[in-house]
Parts: sequence; structure tokens; C-alpha cells
Amino acid sequence: MLTIDALRAYGADVEDGLKRCLDNEAFYLRLVNTVIPDTKVGELSAAIAAGDLDKAFELAHALKGMYGNLSLTPLSGPVSEITELLRSRTVTDYGPLMETILSRKAELEELAK
Amino acid sequence: MEKTARRKKNIHRKVLIVDDEFINRQLLGAIVEREYEVLFAENGLRAMEKINDDPGRISLILLDLLMPEVNGYELLEFLKADEELRRIPVIVLTSDKSAEVRSLNMGAADFIPKTYDAPEVIMARVGRSIELAEDNVMIQEAENDELTGLYTKEFFFQYSKQRDRYLKDVDMDALVLNINRFHLVNELYGRDYGARVLQITADCIRDYLDRYDGLGARCGADDFYIYVPHREDHGELLELCTQKLSSELDNSSVSYRLGVYARADMQADIEQRFDRANLACSKKLSPYLNTVSVYDEKLHETELFNEKLMNDMDKALREKQFVVYYQPKYDIRGDRPVLTSAEALIRWVHPELGMVSPGAFIPLFEENGLIQKLDRYVWREAAAQTALWKKTYGITVPVSVNVSRIDIYDPELENELLHIVSSEGLSPREYLLEITESAYTDNSTQITETVSRLRADGFRVEMDDFGSGYSSLNMLTALPIDALKLDMKFIKNICTSSKDLRMVELMMEIAAFLAVPVIAEGVETREQYELLKKTGCDIIQGYYFSRPVPPADFDKLIEKEKNDSKEESRC
Repeated sequence: MLTIDALRAYGADVEDGLKRCLDNEAFYLRLVNTVIPDTKVGELSAAIAAGDLDKAFELAHALKGMYGNLSLTPLSGPVSEITELLRSRTVTDYGPLMETILSRKAELEELAK
Repeated sequence: MEKTARRKKNIHRKVLIVDDEFINRQLLGAIVEREYEVLFAENGLRAMEKINDDPGRISLILLDLLMPEVNGYELLEFLKADEELRRIPVIVLTSDKSAEVRSLNMGAADFIPKTYDAPEVIMARVGRSIELAEDNVMIQEAENDELTGLYTKEFFFQYSKQRDRYLKDVDMDALVLNINRFHLVNELYGRDYGARVLQITADCIRDYLDRYDGLGARCGADDFYIYVPHREDHGELLELCTQKLSSELDNSSVSYRLGVYARADMQADIEQRFDRANLACSKKLSPYLNTVSVYDEKLHETELFNEKLMNDMDKALREKQFVVYYQPKYDIRGDRPVLTSAEALIRWVHPELGMVSPGAFIPLFEENGLIQKLDRYVWREAAAQTALWKKTYGITVPVSVNVSRIDIYDPELENELLHIVSSEGLSPREYLLEITESAYTDNSTQITETVSRLRADGFRVEMDDFGSGYSSLNMLTALPIDALKLDMKFIKNICTSSKDLRMVELMMEIAAFLAVPVIAEGVETREQYELLKKTGCDIIQGYYFSRPVPPADFDKLIEKEKNDSKEESRC
């Protein structure tokens, strides 16, 4: 089960996230729980693999907002990074960055089990 | 800020959150719903539906930019295109610097960075944007006169001051434009027509302002204020207005009065500058023609002088600075003119200004209502003097006093007059009242009643300034009066103008028809006297016999009269 302590251990800036949730822990956890089953990370990976950078940017941009607002720092950091690269449609190897994102998403999913 | 928030606390407001991300909607919703009712839309299209479902009720939109269907930019455009909807403030949610600029240019009120600020910051931004937008609507409504679209007075002064700060070295003219007899335009042609006249006038003023780079306002019903760089002649504005009125309304009877305060003194307040233009405008030249009057120092001095008189009046009454002079009236029907009565005339011996003429202060006191106090003062003095003469010489020289228009409406008038004469031991028969003709035309029922009661009490009533007003013959026959007093201006030219002489003869015929004596005042020469005697005038007052004199000098006139009549009876 997802807990505040577990999120803190995961590396989330829990205090910052809670502030945005008016210090309501239950509300914060509920919101984090709703982003866990979200499938955009997988879709982002697929879009990059397919070379569809427009779609990839849209997805990354959305994820950045989501993770950023919940202060899920381990995810929002690399997602911001990839968003900025995608914004300028930089042609580069997105593989390593995508790997980081996928693994951190998996870690988060673990916390919720 | 805190005060504003408190002031507006009880107003119900709705905030629409438009974001395709569930998390973002939830987060923002939780923050905003503490003070606002929250509506959600997951894209621009749904947002349009919500806005249309709730017309005029949404106070603010929080808008994400990148969304499926209709995105944030498209929604901004949709809002901007609509006269009403563009008033709704939009705060854009974005993490992209270039998007911030673009959305602000598209009309967004503010932006909130995509990784949201602390809730307090968001609430402050939301509150501030709503407040600004609401104030803006109020300002727009208060800024312009609804009918003409010109500024309202307060904003006009504000913008004029602002202009002065930036254009310090430009000579400016303050103009006040007024429509002559505008109430009659309304009455004759109806209010809608009056409104059209005002609108057309405002259009012409706008043209003029565009041409010469000025500001304009409508202040009050038919007063327009105009602030423009100096020009030698502003007559062009009047021509513009008149031409447009005649081409659009086929009306050439409306005319204007323009008051100009040229090269206004920039040390004076803007309000003061327009007071001066107003003063120039209030100078009534012709009610039927376009007229321009220019403010000058003399006008200003007159104004200051008047102001001083008004301020000093109460003190003057207390300190008895007013003195009553008496001008004799002579009965000229017999061989020898006989002193028959007198008129009480007020003089003001001002401690600083010296002798102030009644022509200077009476109109002022009529305006501010102080005339009633002054009248009563004269009434008491005249009664006391009559009583004194009666005691000294054993005869009554009835003195006529002026009853002002405003006195007629005073329900206490009759009692006060009765009290004044009786407290001096006089009967009303020994006291004369003068009421100006124009007072009769104001409200003939009221005055007929009042005068009838006064006459029933025994007072004798003379109609003053006869010929200056517009009495109808019909009204005259119904009026209870004891004498007609011809307006002075007819007497003035009686010897040189056959028309004036004819007028006097006509008025005497009227008096004969009414069976009342005629009194001519302002008689200065022997010629006038003889002519009037020949035409059948009964009583004469004027410099020919005597100027108004203080009581001590009048004593001599009475003594002379007593001697003359003694002589006569001896013969």
C-alpha cells in the first residue's frame, strides 16, 4: 500500500506535493494512486520508438505537469528533461533517458502494491 | 487588497478549470473550491459548452494550453471574438516561456506555471485577476456617459490632469458648451429627440477633439466640457454642431452657448479652470443664437465680488449695514404735485466696499434665498419709519416695500406682515406692497390667492415693473391690485421714442380699464413729467422730484409738503 513515508523514501518531495494538496495526505495519496495506472509513460516510449516526436512531446508535456504537480521528483526530473528535448524536436538517442523514466515508473508501481 | 476581498466576499463566483489532465483538474479544483464554485472541462470544446450553459456567470477561467479537440489558444480566440466573453479573465496554465507571451498577447490575464505554485499564490492570482476584471467593467461603465459615449466628469478631470502632466508646455483652453433652452427642446419635441440632439452634439465634439487633439465630457444634462490645445477661435465647433443638427434633424432652432477660458492658468486646478469656463458660459447673451463668451479677469472679479457679498450678508444684517432710503411719490393730478407716499429702497453701506448698489446684491440674494431675510428687514424698518413720521408730523406717508417672488410662497407671509404693521401701531391701510409683474405670471393662482388675502387684510398692492413681464390682458382683469407701476425703461425714452410713448399710453388705458391709478417711476426731467401729466399719469416717482434719501432728508420733504398744503388752504 502506498504511504507518505514510502513516497518520501522513493525520493518524492512529499512536503512540496502535500502543500499543493492543502496538506491533505489522503488527497495527495489518492492523486498519486491515480497516476500509477496511467499509461502515458508506455505511450511515450512507443512514440519515441516510432519516431513520432510530435506525439511524444505532447505526452511528455502532460506527464511533466502531472508528476511535477505531485512532486514525484524521481519522475518529474527526467520527464522535464525529455520534454525540453522533445520541444525542440532534438534528434538524439532518447533511449537512456527513457530507460530511467520507465524504471522509476516501475519503482513507483511497486510502492503501490 | 484585504479590504477589497472583504468587500466582495459575499458575491458568488464561478471558476472554470479547463485541463485535460485529471490530476491537474483535481489539484486546482481542491485549491480553488475553497472560495469559488468550480466547474471542470477536460478540453476547449467542453469548456465552450460550459460557458454557453452558464452565460455571464463565469468569473474566471483557468486554462491549460495543450489539449485535445479544441486547445487553449483556440479557446482564447473564441473568447476574444465575443463582446461579452472577452471580459472573462483567463489565467493560462503553462510551463513554457514562449507560451506565456503568446497567451498574454492573446488576451490572457495572467499565467500560472505548470508545476503549480503554492495554493496561496494561486488563490491570490485568481482573486487579483477577478478583481481587476470586475473593476475594469465598472470603470468602463463609469468612464463613459451612456448616452453620448463621451467621458463622465470625474474621468474627464482625471484624464485631463494626466494629460497636463505629460504635455506641460502646451497652452490649453477649457470650454463649456451648453445648449440654449434645452429643457424646451425636450418639452417641445420629446425626450428622444432631446437625446438625439445631445448625441449629435457629442459626435461633433468628438470630431473636433480628433481634429485638435482634445478631451471631452458630458457633465450634467446639456453641459459639455472640452479640453483642447489653445486656438484663437472655437466658433468652428458651434458651426459644426449647427450644421450637423440641421442636416440630420432638419432643425435650425437649437443654438449653443460656448464659454471659453483660453490659455487656462495651469496653476489653477482643472476643476477651477472649468469653473471659469462655466462662468463665461453662464453669461446669458442670446437664447436664440450661437454665442461665445470668453472668460476674463473682470468676469472673475465680478464673481469674487459676488462671493464676498454673499458671504458678508449675514454679518451685514446683524451689524445693520443695510440702510433704508426713501424715495417720494407725488400725486400729479392736481395743479400742485402732492407728496402721497414713498418707496423704501435698500442701500448697503459695506465697511470695506462702501455703498453697494442694490442692483449688485439683490439678484444674488434672490438666487440664494437670503432675499427673504433682507425683505423682512426692510419691512420692519419701513413700518417703524412710517410710525415715527406719523408720530412726528401727525400724517401718514405710506411706504411701499418690495415683496419678492419667493415671499409669495411663504405661508407665513400674511401673518408676518400683519405682525409688523400692528407692532408699530399702524393699520395695513398705511402700508403698501410692491410685487413685480413677472411674479404674477409664475403661478397666477397662488399669487391671486395671496394678494387677495393681503388686500382683504387692508394692505394695498402695487404691481411693479408693469410692462416688463408677459401678463395677459385676461389675467390682468382677474388680478386684485391697487395700482400699476410702469416699468422704468418705458419712461426713459418716452420723449424721444413715439413707440415707447404709445406703449405708456396703452398701459394707461389698461389701468383706466382696471380703474387703478398709474405710477411712473424713473422720471428724471421736466419734459418727461409734463408728457406723463398730459397723458394722464396719476403718480410720479423719480429724480425729477427727489432721489432716494435717508429718513432725515425725507423729513424735510414732509415738512415742505405740510407747509405747501397749509399755504394752499390759506389761498
